[in-house]
Amino acid sequence: MTQQPRQQAADRLVADIAYVRSGDKGDVCTAGLIAKRPEDYEALQASVTPDAVRVLYGGWLKGDVQCHRMDNIGAVVVVMRGALGGGATQTLRLDQTGKSFGHALLRLPVAAISREGGNP
Amino acid sequence: MTKQTIRMGAGSGFWGDAMDPAMEMLEREPLDYLCFDFLAELTMALLQRQKTKDPAAGYVPDAVAYMKAMMPLAQRKGTRLISNGGGVNVAAAARQIAADAAALGLHGLKVGAVEGDDLLARMPELLASGLPLAHMDTGATGLADRAADVVSANVYTDSTGIVQALAQGADVVIAGRVSDNAVYVGPAVHAFGWRRDPAHADRIAAAVTLGHIVECAAGCTGGMSSRFADMPAMGRAGFPILEMDASGDCTITKTRGSGGRVDCDTVKEHLVYEIGDPREYLMPDGIADFTTIALAQVGEDRVRASGIRGRLPSGQLKLVVGLRDGWIGESMAFFPWPDPYDRAMKAKQTMLERFERLGLAGDAVHFDVIGLNMLHGEAAPRMSPQDANRLPELGLRCAVRTRSAAEADKVRRAAANLWIMGPGGTSFGTPIKPRPVVSLWPTLIPAHWVEQRVTMVEARQ
Repeated sequence: MTQQPRQQAADRLVADIAYVRSGDKGDVCTAGLIAKRPEDYEALQASVTPDAVRVLYGGWLKGDVQCHRMDNIGAVVVVMRGALGGGATQTLRLDQTGKSFGHALLRLPVAAISREGGNP
Repeated sequence: MTKQTIRMGAGSGFWGDAMDPAMEMLEREPLDYLCFDFLAELTMALLQRQKTKDPAAGYVPDAVAYMKAMMPLAQRKGTRLISNGGGVNVAAAARQIAADAAALGLHGLKVGAVEGDDLLARMPELLASGLPLAHMDTGATGLADRAADVVSANVYTDSTGIVQALAQGADVVIAGRVSDNAVYVGPAVHAFGWRRDPAHADRIAAAVTLGHIVECAAGCTGGMSSRFADMPAMGRAGFPILEMDASGDCTITKTRGSGGRVDCDTVKEHLVYEIGDPREYLMPDGIADFTTIALAQVGEDRVRASGIRGRLPSGQLKLVVGLRDGWIGESMAFFPWPDPYDRAMKAKQTMLERFERLGLAGDAVHFDVIGLNMLHGEAAPRMSPQDANRLPELGLRCAVRTRSAAEADKVRRAAANLWIMGPGGTSFGTPIKPRPVVSLWPTLIPAHWVEQRVTMVEARQ
């Protein structure tokens, strides 16, 4: 049950390379992740994918996930549907507006990217 | 003659925000406009409920109190005050502001009331219109079947009414459910004489974007920041100021001598806040492409924003219908070391037994362990019971959705039963009252359903 994958050798988490701000629109949680340094932007893009996000939240995220690039400011906007237990006014969760929810994205491991900076 | 640059201050980011940063800005800064957002998605339903109880209520009380506090100085300095705090009773708010102005000796002060967003009275007509009124997020139809539950219906309207009120000489503009950023777009359109045509689409998109950046006030000056540790004196955070050119390019800054910070990262943090596709930030005034903005630090607490592109709006407007939808009962209890996790689990079991005894009829029952998984749920790393039992303290939160207030109150009662039936050391805060649920149904309607009206009210002796 105990799992601490965090400190394996050179493993980095998105928390190490990005800032986050999240909020709500109905039952959609939107989170903006901003690369702390321009050189981390491609790694951030590679790490924050719809599949990775769905796996992270499990049953707390019911709908689809979209990740939008913002090359101009080195950010990725994550749009998560069915993420807030019905939305701020109906949810049984304490974090009604998803202000905390998006911070869990910082737990994603940083994906390795090729030297060419290739990114699917 | 139209101006080349205007200075617009952000005076409020929500109903409940601090007033002193707005007052400080008004005192220290030359401002053409000081703009206030008071409305969140749920606010209109809350205000509609207040208006049902008292026909003179239904506006945001703070919106009127702010104007009363700021009008004298704003008049002396030539700063015009614009807010969306009229809620669902704009006329009553405007009358009160004018009466307050008269009492302050500000005779001749003009208040522009902008209405037209409230479609509650027209809901039967709208439901019978044959429009699908599909839920924007889920695609669900069948709103007409919920007609009896409708408590509010407001359209996110554009800045047309604000522009009109300013053109008619309003010193104070009070609107209903205009979009949050319309209180910034309106002054820009008015001051620069922008037309709503393709030639001005980028400029309007720029104002939409910049309005978005500042509409949560301290949200772009260090509030809610991931870099919280680096943000100085946030208890006296400065609210942001837009120095906007007629081209739509703009410098973002904040009140001189205030706390907080404006840099490219504080601006980026708010640019990405609560948006969908950044290439299509859809607002009633226009569609902005946030991927076109260029940001540059041009001085201490000064960020230049330029290059913003966009398109004219689609002709569809967002209507949010509030629906009565049951109740929520909620409780919290806290447990000390040793074995706080075991205590929490025993309390959960006891509460479930109480629910059974009390015959609680709930649609859904939800438990969180405060300190382990309340905020991130399944995304929180699992901790073994042995490790959790070694923590200094944990809490148990319970929330239940019910159909009636009486059922929801059983959650409060079951939690109160824990005071003596619960595990040793259990500690409680103040019991939480049941709260009514209003679910929101966002949908799109053709813009022709909405016609904004502007009424001028003058402060008279």
